[in-house]
Amino acid sequence: MTSIDVHDLTKEYGPRRAVDRITFRVPPGRVTGFLGPNGAGKSTTLRLLLGLDRPTSGTATLAGRPYVSLARPLRHVGALLDAQAAHSSRTGRDHLLVLAASNRIPVRRVDEVLEETGLTPAARRRVRTYSLGMRQRLGIAAALLGDPGVVLLDEPANGLDPEGIVWIRGLLRRLAAEGRTVLVSSHLMNETASFADHLVVLGRGRVLADTALRDFIDARVHPGVRIRTTDPAALENALTRQGHDAVRHPDGHWTVRHARVDDIGPLVSAAGVPLLELSAEEGTLEQAYLALTAVDAEFAARQHEEVRP
Amino acid sequence: MTRLTFPPALHAEWIKIRTLRPQIGALAAVPLATVAFSALAGLGAGDDDILFSAFFGVNFGQIAAIAFGTTAVSAEFHTGALRLSLAAVPRRGSWFAAKLTAIGLPVLAVGLVTGLTALAAGAMTVGPQARDATPAEWVRGTAGCAVYLTLMALLAAGLTTVLRSGVGALSILVPFLLLVSFVLGDVNGNAADFLPDRAGQVVLHSSWDGTLGPWTGLAVSALWTAAAVAAGLWRVRVRDA
Repeated sequence: MTSIDVHDLTKEYGPRRAVDRITFRVPPGRVTGFLGPNGAGKSTTLRLLLGLDRPTSGTATLAGRPYVSLARPLRHVGALLDAQAAHSSRTGRDHLLVLAASNRIPVRRVDEVLEETGLTPAARRRVRTYSLGMRQRLGIAAALLGDPGVVLLDEPANGLDPEGIVWIRGLLRRLAAEGRTVLVSSHLMNETASFADHLVVLGRGRVLADTALRDFIDARVHPGVRIRTTDPAALENALTRQGHDAVRHPDGHWTVRHARVDDIGPLVSAAGVPLLELSAEEGTLEQAYLALTAVDAEFAARQHEEVRP
Repeated sequence: MTRLTFPPALHAEWIKIRTLRPQIGALAAVPLATVAFSALAGLGAGDDDILFSAFFGVNFGQIAAIAFGTTAVSAEFHTGALRLSLAAVPRRGSWFAAKLTAIGLPVLAVGLVTGLTALAAGAMTVGPQARDATPAEWVRGTAGCAVYLTLMALLAAGLTTVLRSGVGALSILVPFLLLVSFVLGDVNGNAADFLPDRAGQVVLHSSWDGTLGPWTGLAVSALWTAAAVAAGLWRVRVRDA
């Protein structure tokens, strides 16, 4: 199977280390979200994977082979790096025909991916007339052209309208379900949470986390329970008796941290507390991500201070 | 690797050229500019070099050939285009060879058409004097015109790759070709004879009195082109895309 293997990869641009000895593996059959703030090294890693930039040290391979050794690379790996890469004076279809010819991909595929990305009506129009979302779709069409086992997408939801975002979510899920290796970089947390199974998080050129989405969130954000009642005194009494940590908010609702509805529900019911609302507060990817990067930023700040005389 | 990367890469590069209107326009402008300016010069008449008066317009046709070579390469230096090209053809040597072939072959073909048209137009404007040049000279002039234009287009392509900028390449080549050669005029027998355009254009003359003959002149132009192409190849292979 085609997996992506990044091993001890380092890339320096002059004195700056864009990617600092990163190691991770992206297996097939699931969508891996590639997260990190701007400048964390996501795009550099993707360029290194595609042989566009040369690593200072380390390796990046696809199914055990470096990208540049592939004779017909688009049949193995499809990538969207920059939706602006298509020449604005060429038609969308001609743009894809160029790529198809370079890898001996049948012309039939060009029309198939145009159909798949909803660009058929615009296929013979010049790219200059395309909206940002259409250019994004054209870039995705180019990535899918060779029916590749590995799909790398850099910020695919950029510029897409709400329908487009729903579409890309479905597309990514389907590509993974078909057994492909899917790596999607993004800075949109809620969006990533909606399609990713697994996360690789970069920060300042290093891997900060490489874990399943659910575990990533659960390890950093504790779930809680949200309650509204007409009898706050009874609620507080019932909760504190059981050792729960309840907080009352100014608008009148309560949250019980580190708790689950399965435990709290029967408890308040047994105590006869009248309830207006009882719901689970799941941690979000955004909260987890911010918790992680806060720690990282703190670490960076401390390092910075230590360096000072 | 058993599967060749060059033929499909060449196919792709050719589609790139034929799907951009300005590129086709530049190709069409090569014979148009050559013949138009040759005709103008021919009307002035009185040139003692019949052959060169027919091919005089090549001085202007070459600007179109250079524009063609430059834009074919500079299109790759727009946002992310080169990355996409090299992701499709990661063997950079193959890719660059395909790019240059897709530039050189059309210019060679158009250059032959240009040479033949200039010859016919020249014969018409010059009239009976056309016989002052031998058929062998006309053949040499026509073939030389095609080769010369091809070399200039490739020189421009190589220079554009080195500079990673079409504007940069044109702002060096066009003033250089239009001004330097004209300023130096007919002064012969100096280092200027070895400049790519002056050396290459000897082949368009019936007679010459410099160090370089028609074929040695083209060879000198070819060396300039080879140097630009080699520098371009080095840039493509070494640089991060």
